[in-house]
Amino acid sequence: MKYLTAVVAAGAALVLGLVLGALLLGGEATPSDTSAEAGFARDMSVHHEQAVELAFIIRDRSDDPEIRALAYDIINTQRAQIGMFSGWLQQWDLPQTSTAPPMAWVDHGHMSAMSDMPMDSYDDMPGMASDEQLDELREAKGIQAERMFLELMIDHHKGGVQMAEAVEPLTDRDEVEYLASTIVQGQQAEIFAMEQMLADRS
Amino acid sequence: MGLSALARAGAATVLCAAFLVGCSAAPTEEPSSEGIDGVQTYGDLSRDHTEDPVDYPQSPPVGGNHNPVWLDCTGTVYDEPVQNENAVHSLEHGAVWITYDDSVSADDVAAVADVVDGQPYTFMSPYPDQDSPIVLTAWGVQLGVDSVDDARIDEFLTAYRQGPQTPEPGATCESGMMP
Repeated sequence: MKYLTAVVAAGAALVLGLVLGALLLGGEATPSDTSAEAGFARDMSVHHEQAVELAFIIRDRSDDPEIRALAYDIINTQRAQIGMFSGWLQQWDLPQTSTAPPMAWVDHGHMSAMSDMPMDSYDDMPGMASDEQLDELREAKGIQAERMFLELMIDHHKGGVQMAEAVEPLTDRDEVEYLASTIVQGQQAEIFAMEQMLADRS
Repeated sequence: MGLSALARAGAATVLCAAFLVGCSAAPTEEPSSEGIDGVQTYGDLSRDHTEDPVDYPQSPPVGGNHNPVWLDCTGTVYDEPVQNENAVHSLEHGAVWITYDDSVSADDVAAVADVVDGQPYTFMSPYPDQDSPIVLTAWGVQLGVDSVDDARIDEFLTAYRQGPQTPEPGATCESGMMP
């Protein structure tokens, strides 16, 4: 009898947990595999990865404290945000990558600057540096390398802002809206700072 | 925003407690076939760094001790065979390695390169000594296919690039070694 009571109690607790969980989760459907949120998380991860790579290249080659601090900041911020994108996809029970074309999630009408989407290659995403540009940066030295880095990263940030702005009207998920808006604001502020740094090195 | 995030966290806790599943903090799961026909799985793979050559039981290797430097695996197409010890480190970082033997035609190699080029967490190289014309390998899992048109190639890439079997979720494919 005691056993039966325990089973009934456990069953009741299970049902209560389910109901509570459903109530608390209610209203917000988890994004699908082809959703703007999933596409943004995956494509922005690749975009951020290249920013981290660019910043590592210049930090390994420059002894200028201002440049090195900027690179350190970009590496840590964008790496952490890659982790957030990955965490979303895990929480939404979606694969981390997709074989769908890059930027397939973007609303074409909304982004006139990116009219030829979806794209064939991740290198075609806005602001991405080409393999050749990365190699040139690896070969460059001194102030020339710093200027090249700043120019590449300003373009890269402008593209990042475009991508974050593209997802904003396509989502009503708090975590996506929040991170997209911080990317828009944060990268715009860094663009301003990098334009100053570029002017200082002209 | 704060409240709804809190609510979601609360719900996750309730569900987790109710089912006693999904509560584990361990991010890495034992390799599984993920429902894809023909995928071989290998558990209990060691993960030490070594500068020495490693004798791997599988060909191509699916995991094990490896070189401290990983291969660039940002959709990288290698035209020559690569070092196993570096490639295995890329598998640890969540990459899928596509290899092909001498029986694959130049056109089909180009078709595979089209699938790989520029894709996150993916790299390819020739591998003369393997049992199928095209082999897909991720950490602890492997699939041999006869044709580049096999639909399981896409399924494998989707399931395993930074998939649940990845020993180091979040590790990078950038900045590795380019031979």
